[in-house]
Amino acid sequence: MGALHARGVARARAGTGPVKRAAFGWAGLRRVFRLPPSDERVAREVDDELRFHIDGRIDELVSRGWSRDAAESEARRRFGDYAEYRRQARDIDIETHHRRRRMDVLDASRRELRQGARALARTPAFSLVALATLALGLGATAAIFAVLDAVVLRPLPYPEPDRLVSIMHPVSGKAVTSDKPWGVSPAGYFYFRREAHSLAASGIYLTTTLAVRSPGGAERVQAGAVTASLFDVLGARAAAGRLLDAADDVPNGPAVVVLGYGYWQRSFGGNPSIVGRTIDVEGVPRLVIGVAARGADLPMPSAFASQADLAGLAVELWVPLQLDPAARPVNTHPYSMLARLEPGATIADAQRELAALTNRLPEIAPSAYSAAFMQQYHFGMAVTPLKEQVLGSTARVLWVVFAAVGLVLLIAAANVTNLFLVRLEARRREAAVRSALGAGRSHLAVHYLAEALLLTTSAGAAALVLAWAGLHVFVALAPASIPRVASVAFGWPTAAVTAGLSIVLGVAFGLAPLTTVGGVDIATLREGGRGLTASRTRRVVRDALVVAQMTLALVLLAAAGLMLRTVGQLRQVKPGFDPQRAIAMHVHLPWTRYQGWQPVAAFHRALQERIAALPGVQSVGGADEFIPLASPGFCSVVWVEDRPLAPGEEPPCVKVAEVEPGYFSALGIPVRGRLPDWHDAEAGTGAVVVTRALAERFWPGENPIGRGIKGNGSRPPFYRVVGVSGDLRGDGLEKPPVEAVFFPIIPMKDAWLWNPPNDLELVVRTSLDDPTSVIAAIRRAVAELDPLVSVDDVRTMRSVVAHSLARVSFILALLGIAALIALALSAVGTYGVIAYLVAQRRSEIGLRMALGARAAQVTGMVVGHSLRLAGVGAIAGIVAALATTRLLASLLYGVRPTDPLTFVAAPAFLLAVAALASMAPARRAARVDPVEALRAE
Amino acid sequence: MPASELDVVRGTLDLLVLRALSWGPMHGLAALRWIEDRTRGELQIEDGALYPALHRLEQKGWLESVWGYTDAGRRARFYQLTAPGRRHLAAELSRWERYTRAVSRVLEPEPAR
Repeated sequence: MGALHARGVARARAGTGPVKRAAFGWAGLRRVFRLPPSDERVAREVDDELRFHIDGRIDELVSRGWSRDAAESEARRRFGDYAEYRRQARDIDIETHHRRRRMDVLDASRRELRQGARALARTPAFSLVALATLALGLGATAAIFAVLDAVVLRPLPYPEPDRLVSIMHPVSGKAVTSDKPWGVSPAGYFYFRREAHSLAASGIYLTTTLAVRSPGGAERVQAGAVTASLFDVLGARAAAGRLLDAADDVPNGPAVVVLGYGYWQRSFGGNPSIVGRTIDVEGVPRLVIGVAARGADLPMPSAFASQADLAGLAVELWVPLQLDPAARPVNTHPYSMLARLEPGATIADAQRELAALTNRLPEIAPSAYSAAFMQQYHFGMAVTPLKEQVLGSTARVLWVVFAAVGLVLLIAAANVTNLFLVRLEARRREAAVRSALGAGRSHLAVHYLAEALLLTTSAGAAALVLAWAGLHVFVALAPASIPRVASVAFGWPTAAVTAGLSIVLGVAFGLAPLTTVGGVDIATLREGGRGLTASRTRRVVRDALVVAQMTLALVLLAAAGLMLRTVGQLRQVKPGFDPQRAIAMHVHLPWTRYQGWQPVAAFHRALQERIAALPGVQSVGGADEFIPLASPGFCSVVWVEDRPLAPGEEPPCVKVAEVEPGYFSALGIPVRGRLPDWHDAEAGTGAVVVTRALAERFWPGENPIGRGIKGNGSRPPFYRVVGVSGDLRGDGLEKPPVEAVFFPIIPMKDAWLWNPPNDLELVVRTSLDDPTSVIAAIRRAVAELDPLVSVDDVRTMRSVVAHSLARVSFILALLGIAALIALALSAVGTYGVIAYLVAQRRSEIGLRMALGARAAQVTGMVVGHSLRLAGVGAIAGIVAALATTRLLASLLYGVRPTDPLTFVAAPAFLLAVAALASMAPARRAARVDPVEALRAE
Repeated sequence: MPASELDVVRGTLDLLVLRALSWGPMHGLAALRWIEDRTRGELQIEDGALYPALHRLEQKGWLESVWGYTDAGRRARFYQLTAPGRRHLAAELSRWERYTRAVSRVLEPEPAR
C-alpha cells in the first residue's frame, strides 16, 4: 500500500496536477473522514467538489490571460448542465451512503454475534445450563400454547362462528337427579323456530351410529339425524349432489342419505357416481342424494349420546329427522338445538326472547308442559355461544395448564438471570477494561444484548423441537373429551409466540447488566476493589431470585398436590360394581328384522345362553342403555304406588333402564333381596331392582321391597321392587350415587315400558385375566345367531373406570410434570447461588475454621442459608397458592382448595429439596483448608 | 439517440476515468486534464459529465474517494482505484483493444496494390 501510494503520488505529480500527500495515508484518512453521516452533508460535499472544479478551471483560464468574467462564463460553458450533473452526482452519493450504512449495521451485528458466540463457547457450562433451562421452559410453554391455540383460541370451523349459539333447557330442583341440561323437545323446537325473531336459522339433531350393509359386510358408522335447516345454520355445502332440503325433511319423507366427506373418500373412493345410487342403512335402502363438503361436521355429540359417540364427531352419514310439526307435543328433550343469530342480534337478545317463549310453553303445548312441571323442574332456557358450549370446562383446564407452564418459564428465566449475574461478576474485569478503552454504555449494551439474544434464540429453536415432540405426548395423553384435540398441530402462531418470548427474554437478560442492580459500576471497577455495597445489592438480588423461584414452585406443587389428592379421593370412591375381568360391548339388532318386545327379548335370551356356555365366561347380562360410567342411559319421570303427588307436584326424573337377567351378576353389583330371572321377564311378574339412592328418595327409612313403581302415569299396574342394589356411580366417580330403576326387558302384562331394547349394552364377566380374549368367540356366537346383528365398541370395564378418571389424571399428569420441572429448576437455582456463596466466602470460612469452628457448624451455616431462602419462598408461596388454587376448585373432588395436608406437605417437600440442593456446596465448605484459604487471600 | 450509443459513450468515459486514475490518486479536474492532455483536446467531454461517472464508479466499488488538500492548499476530493477497480480496468482494456482492433480491421482502407 505504501509503495503503491508513493508511486501514485509521484505519477500524479509528473502527470497533470499537484496532489498533496494526505497526512495519514489512505487507510488513516478513511478512518478520520468517515463517509458523511447525513444526506444533507452528502449533498454539500457534491457542491464543494463541483465548486472546486469550476474554480480550478477559472484559475487555469485566468493564468492563460482570460479576463475573470470571460473565464468564468467559459468554465460554466465547458461544464455543461450544472444543475443536472449536480443532481445526478447527489442521487448516486445518497444511494451509496444508504447502502453503506446498511452494510455497516449488518457487519456490526455479524461481528457482535460472532463475538457473542465466542464468549458463550468460552464458558460451555454456563451456556449449556442456560440453554437447556430456557429450552425446557420455552418448550413447555410452546407445546401448551399450540394446544390452547388449536382448541380454545381458534374459531369453530364454520362461517361466521360468532353468530352460532347452542340452545338448551337447564333444569334444577329436587325433582332432578342430574345437573346436565336438557336438549329441546320437538314441539319446543318448532315453536321456537316459528316465533323467535333473533334467530336467522335454527335446527336440531341427534348423533347415533347406524349399520350400513354392503357386499363386503356390515359396518357401523357415525350418523347425524338432522333437520334440513341445520345445514343452513352450520353453513355447510355439498361436495357432490345436494344436501338435505325441506322436501326431504317431512314426515314419512323420502328415504335419502347424504354421505360425509371422509366416509365418501374412505368407502367409495371419492367417486361422485355414488350420487343417485342406493345404500342399505339399517336394512332400509336409502338414496344417496349428495356428499357434504370436507369439514361439514357436528360440533358436539347430542345431549344423551353415549361415550362411544363421543369418540368421533366426524359425521359419516346425514339422515333427515323427518319430524312432524303437527304431532302431539310430548315432554321429551333429546334433541340438540343450534341456531344462527340474526345479524345485529346479540346473545342477550336471543336469551331474553327464548326465555320468554319458554315460559309460554304451558299455553302452547299443554299436553307436554304443565305449569307445575315448569316450576318444579325450574325448566329454563340457556342460549350459549356455541364455542363455549363445545369447550365446556376444557378451556379452563387448558388455561390452568398454560398458567402452570408459564410459571415454569418464569422459574427458568429466574435461573438464567441468576446465571447471567454470576457470569457478570466474573466478567467485571473484562467490562472494566472495555470501558477504560472507551467502550461506552451503549457499546457494552450491544455486546451483552448480542450474547443474550444468541442464547435465547438458540434456546427458542431448541424449544420448538422439544415442543413438537412434547405435543405428540400431549395428544396421546389427552382424554378424548377434549374437543378438537386431534386438530392440534404445530403452526405459525406457536412459532411466533416462541420467537417473541425468546426475543423478550434475550433483551431482558442482555439489558439487565446495565441496570444499577446488575450494574457494571465503572467507578468501583477502576479501583479494582470490591464495591461492598454493590456486591451486597447483587447478593440480595440473587437471593431474591431464589426466593421467587421457590414461591412459584410452591404454587405449582400445591396445585399438583391438590390434583393428586383429587385422584386419590376418586380412587377411594367405590364405583358400586366390580370392573375386574369384565367387558362391555354394544349389540345392535336391526329394526327392520326385530320389531316388538318378544322377538328382541328372544334374541337376547338365545345370545345370552350361547355366551354363558363359552369357556371362561361366568355371567352375562345387558341393559338398554345404562352401564355405570360407560353409557349414561336416560332419565324419565316415574310414579310411586300409594304415594300420591301433592297438588301441583311433578314426578321426578330418575335414571331408568331395561335390563336382562344376569345384568347385576355380570357387573358385580351387589343386590339385597331377589334377582329377577328370565322367568320373571317372560311371565311378566314385573320384578324390578332399584338403587339404594332411589330407595332413599322414595321410601326413606322404610323397606322398599314390595313397593310399586312405574313410568308414564300413576295408573296401575305397578312394577314391584324385589331387590335393592348398593350405591352405584353412574355418571362419574365424582357425582353422587345414581338414582335408578332397573326394569325388565319385557313389559309386565298391561303395563307400560319404554322401547324394545334393540340396542343393548352387553356385559360379560369372565374368569380370565384378559377378558378380551373371549371377544372372538362372542362375535362368532352372534354371527351364528344372525350375521346382521352387529357387535362393536368393545371395552373392558377396567378401561371404563380408568376413562372416567382420564380428565383428572390428565390434569394431574400435566401439573405434576410442571411441578417437577419447577422443583428441579429451583433446586438447580438454589445450588448455583449457594455454591457461588461458598466460593465467594472461602476465606471467611477458612478464618472461622482457623478460629475453631467445626465442619458441622460450617455445613449447618451453608444449609441454613439455603433453608432460610426456601423458608421465605415457602411462606410467600403458601400465600400465593391460597390465592390461586381457588381457580382449581371446579376440578377438585373431595378436597378443598385449602386442603391442609397439601399445604403442609408441599412446603415440607420444598424445604427438603432446598436442603438437598445445598448439601454438595455445604460439604465443599466443610472441606475448606483454613491455611490454604487464608494464604490465597 | 438510442440507448446503446449513449452507453457506449458513458462506458468510454468510465474507461478513460479509470485509466487516468490508474496513474494514481487525483481529483476530478486533474483526471480531466490528464485525459485532455492525452487526447490533445480531440475528444469533447463536458466537464460536468465527469462527476456522475466518478460517483457511479465509486458506488460500484472501483474507486474510493477521500477529501484532501492540493499543493495550493485547497480542499479537494481525491479519487483512487481500488483493487477491484484495477482488475476491472485491466479487463476492460483488453476488451477495448479487441473491439477497436476488430473495428479497425473492417474500417482500414484497402492497402494499395
